[in-house]
Amino acid sequence: MTVEVVIFVLMGLTALGGAITVVMARNPVYSGLGLLGTMLSLAVIYVSQLAHFVAAIQVIVYAGAVMTLFLFVIMMIGVDVAEDTAENLPRQRLVVGVLAAAVVGFAVYLGVSQGFDWVPAASGEPVAEATNGTVQAIGERLFSTWVLAFEATALLLTVAAAGAIALAYFRRRRAVRE
Amino acid sequence: MTLAQATMIDPPVVSWLGIAPELVLGVGAALVLLIEVQWKPSRTAIAWAGGAAVIAAALLSVLLHARIESGDGISTFLPFAGMIALDGFGVFARYVLLAVAGLGLLAAQRMVQEAGTRAAEMVALMLLATAGFSLMAISANLILTFLGLEIGSISLYVLAGYVRERGNSDEAAIKYFLLGSFASAVFVYGVALVFAGTGNFSIQGVHDYLDGVVVFEPGVILLGLALLVVGLTFKVTAAPFHSWAPDVYQGAPAGVVGFMAAIAKIGGFAGLVRILVSAFPDLAGDWAPVVAAIAAVSMVVGSVLAIVQDDIRRLLAYSGVAHAGFILTGVLSGGEGTAEIWFYLAIYAVQLVAAFAVVAAVSGPSGSRSALSDYAGLAQRQPFLAATFAVILLGMGGIPLTAGFVAKFGVFSDAWAAGHEWVVIVGVLASVVAFFLYLRVIVTMYMDEPAGEAAAAPLGVRWVTSVAVVVTLLFGVFPGPLLDLAGRALPL
Repeated sequence: MTVEVVIFVLMGLTALGGAITVVMARNPVYSGLGLLGTMLSLAVIYVSQLAHFVAAIQVIVYAGAVMTLFLFVIMMIGVDVAEDTAENLPRQRLVVGVLAAAVVGFAVYLGVSQGFDWVPAASGEPVAEATNGTVQAIGERLFSTWVLAFEATALLLTVAAAGAIALAYFRRRRAVRE
Repeated sequence: MTLAQATMIDPPVVSWLGIAPELVLGVGAALVLLIEVQWKPSRTAIAWAGGAAVIAAALLSVLLHARIESGDGISTFLPFAGMIALDGFGVFARYVLLAVAGLGLLAAQRMVQEAGTRAAEMVALMLLATAGFSLMAISANLILTFLGLEIGSISLYVLAGYVRERGNSDEAAIKYFLLGSFASAVFVYGVALVFAGTGNFSIQGVHDYLDGVVVFEPGVILLGLALLVVGLTFKVTAAPFHSWAPDVYQGAPAGVVGFMAAIAKIGGFAGLVRILVSAFPDLAGDWAPVVAAIAAVSMVVGSVLAIVQDDIRRLLAYSGVAHAGFILTGVLSGGEGTAEIWFYLAIYAVQLVAAFAVVAAVSGPSGSRSALSDYAGLAQRQPFLAATFAVILLGMGGIPLTAGFVAKFGVFSDAWAAGHEWVVIVGVLASVVAFFLYLRVIVTMYMDEPAGEAAAAPLGVRWVTSVAVVVTLLFGVFPGPLLDLAGRALPL
């Protein structure tokens, strides 16, 4: 058992636990926290796979920005609002259960019968160039080959900001007038 | 690893002049936004600042064109690690895009005035849309093509919903946004599949791969190519991916519809031609029948459905579908038809902006209803506007001695020479049908009794229509110079 396997098992369990919390928790704030746990566990798994950049993005964007947005929405709607739990689709649980079992069964079948030989095997020793996903490797690519595309995304962000103001400012003006 | 090693980055060849027009447009947009916050200038001043950025970008394009043709001071024609191509194709695309942006700003003058505190955002979004589609036209890499497409499209989604007093402007924006995002997703999926099949994002790389390798199972590449074609034909409103266009053109504020429609068509066709002609010439046998079918369906659907419309904006939208079909026939001949496609696009884009400028003048810049009956007797109420509109419509219809005729003749003769005779026959029949609908509008303007009061056309609109009339007639009688210029607009 290498350290990597230990980390994978631990973090995999936490991620699963978080995911189950998201679905099962009665209180939406707990669901949010469960999602946060899943995202952070995934980030740790990314680090163990040397994907440092993806890990950092996972923490900053998902655990940071997206989670904050979710919490804002939860707080705005209110935590104690009673939910309508009546199910409009009869037998949907049964259908979903069968479908989920089929997908899991197919995945297990693939794993058992093919022995994962379609996954490129890790070749023994970790090689020195295994720096594909590191911040440094991505930074080098971003500021050499892809520098123009990278800078062009600045225009995209400007469009988003100007567009958001243009569309949102209008309602406020009308609200003031009324 | 030491710090010295860690910070070594191999910089690509940078060509500032190569992206100067886009830089100027981007900086112009940022300046317009900042100046508005700091000094609160008049809206006219904001519009002029936008116009200045467009003119500066156009001058830089001329300089770049001269440099490209002489080769002075250019170390590589694929700077930024092959991200963009410095070629006549990109330069001509910029001429057309910037002309449309300039005319679009003039036509939108009254809308900028009415936009109140949001005037600066409107001008900035128009500049950014131009920069985005311009990046798309010069891009030599599918990723940058996608980025340019998104920058342009997202600006247009916002412009479509600019006048939110009316419900159907919101509706147009949401419709355009949802369907447009879906088309962009299809496009980017195509990029991913092409990458999966060829291992390349660069257009040159895809071409070299297909040229050098015998692909026994090209399924993934063909599927990717099909998705790219779907994504882009959506943007140019070719049937059967056109169903959003009439609703969006009807709901969006009249002041910017012409700009929106024209600039998306130019960007979309620039991307489509570059991808099909430069990246996939070896698969022409596979894509030509599909493009031929799309062209034929567009011509028929656009022309026939346009006849039954009684709203002038829907009419122009459906006629735009037909025009997309006509332009697509030029794509059929592979690289041979590029000059004719550009000639057609340049003429049609100017006419389109002018036609919608007339619509904005007649039905108000932010109005949404533009029933054909509003145009009854326009010749008596607004003789100048009616006369110029008539010439523009005749040019769109393509009667001889207008530039529209030269353009149609060019793309049809290319398709005929490339052996797609049936598409040309469908095209000629469709143009006869389409001609009737333009005549119908002219008859309404000149023969019917005037209804309602005359609203004076703003000076900007009169300028735009005058330019379109000059372009239509001048290049109809002397097409030589523009054809010559378009003839040099070849992709690298």
